[in-house]
Amino acid sequence: MRTFRILFFKELKSYFLTPFGWLIMAFAAMMQGLSLSTTLKEYSESAMSENLVFATFQSPIFWFYFLFLFPVLTMRLFSEENRSGTLEGLLTAPVKIWQVVLSKYFAAYLTFILLWIPALIHFRLFAMLNDIPPPFNNGELYGALTIVILMGSLFTAMGCLASCMTSSQIIAGIVCVGILFVHFLLGLIPYFFGDQIAAAPLFHFISSQEHLRSFSRGLFDTRPFVYYLTASGFFIFLTYHLLDYRRWKP
Amino acid sequence: MIEVANLSKNYGRHAAVDGISFEVSRGEIVGFLGPNGAGKTTTLRMLTGFLPPTSGAARIAGHDIFRESLDVRRHIGYMPENVPLYTDMRVKEYLRFRGSLRGLKGSQLRKRLGETLDICGLSHVRRKMIKTLSKGYRQRVGLADALIHEPDLLILDEPTNGLDPNQIRAIRSLIQNLGENHTILLSTHILSEVEMTCNKVVIIDEGKVKAADTPKNLVNSMRRAGRISAELQGPREEIETKLSAVGDVTKVTSQPLQDGWNRYTVFVAPNTDTRLRISALAHEMQWPLRSLARRSGTLEEVFVELTRRD
Repeated sequence: MRTFRILFFKELKSYFLTPFGWLIMAFAAMMQGLSLSTTLKEYSESAMSENLVFATFQSPIFWFYFLFLFPVLTMRLFSEENRSGTLEGLLTAPVKIWQVVLSKYFAAYLTFILLWIPALIHFRLFAMLNDIPPPFNNGELYGALTIVILMGSLFTAMGCLASCMTSSQIIAGIVCVGILFVHFLLGLIPYFFGDQIAAAPLFHFISSQEHLRSFSRGLFDTRPFVYYLTASGFFIFLTYHLLDYRRWKP
Repeated sequence: MIEVANLSKNYGRHAAVDGISFEVSRGEIVGFLGPNGAGKTTTLRMLTGFLPPTSGAARIAGHDIFRESLDVRRHIGYMPENVPLYTDMRVKEYLRFRGSLRGLKGSQLRKRLGETLDICGLSHVRRKMIKTLSKGYRQRVGLADALIHEPDLLILDEPTNGLDPNQIRAIRSLIQNLGENHTILLSTHILSEVEMTCNKVVIIDEGKVKAADTPKNLVNSMRRAGRISAELQGPREEIETKLSAVGDVTKVTSQPLQDGWNRYTVFVAPNTDTRLRISALAHEMQWPLRSLARRSGTLEEVFVELTRRD
């Protein structure tokens, strides 16, 4: 556990003791602000039937920046160690492979979670600075943040796997975007082909768009919890074995 | 300290290391030599647990390198080839990280940090980013990294690779000092370095051990060792026949020099010295003798003899 803690803080430092983490934070804050302000503009122009949180997280800009956070956060994790050779020094110290994988995963994941502080502040401020009752309630706000953080656990694990596959950060980033995009499109299949196809319930089950819609209306559903947590466990498991691969490859 | 038995590593069909066996006992400084691609780095990576062996076994400090990899790794300090470091960390920060990974903490960590920085001559750059350091300093950081937890065994892969002569000297004397209370296994191409620092040499080529002995024994037992060169004046033919008749001499060749003297090269059996007999013979025959020298072989010649492919 002590080894895990040392590795974890080392990774966390590489995000926040360099400009890197702060740049992503600034980017995320800017995009969150942009989607909130464009949504507010729509509110001022026409009557809206949905709550503000829902409309903000449904704005077209959301998926665009959301899916790009993960490659940026994770592409460096393993590929850089691979390229520079520091993996050799790391794995010949008395550390276990799961400690390496989990420390990197959780450092990236915690950084991702911290990226949502600006969004939380935006909505809190909106409620504080207006004398009108805010057009959303706490269930909707925390529901949206919960599902975003839940989706993050899986997408970060996908990014870790992509980073472990190659020694080039760029390729790791592209592979990560690819995996995320395929996952995103799978969730859209029911829209294109309708609910008549036999696999439609499966696609509904993994559809991040639908999860986001229901949670940002304040509907907590336990199925996405099961899905995202088991799937991230699976991707971490794959990452572990990919890193261990050199130990058993022919 | 290290027992290697029939260790092999195949990459696909290519055997990088092919059934090597050798031993290193506590307190020895062992040079691990071989041409490029001989399997040195692969062997060291197997010993440190980075790569698993295809077959065979090795034990370090009594622990199996595959089954008890973590115990093995606690006993070794390893400096990989080309010294990979986290370049965006500062020297002291990096060493603190590496030390605490090896289980040092609190006052013990602080004490070892200070000592290691001193030993490796890094005190004045301890606050610098590693990426701003020159190659020589990075090499020292790598060495400090291997040393910080006071390991029983140091494994250094080409510790002086790419350094200038002054830096090589500094690293060499550092290794010699460390050798007083550490076991060291170091791989290198620089043979003079091995002659000066190591008390045992293992030469491998194409994945196989070609020789393992002290540098002195290796040099003495080589085919061309013990060649004697003598400069004499007198009848060339006669001298050649007489010299050939001396015991242990296998062959004599001669070569006239500019000033009327002749140089004779006398080939003798390994591990013998015929100089006294030659000088006695010259005295007896009244040949003027102005130089008589035994050419001791060098490790370089041993190396070439064992690993040349022609």
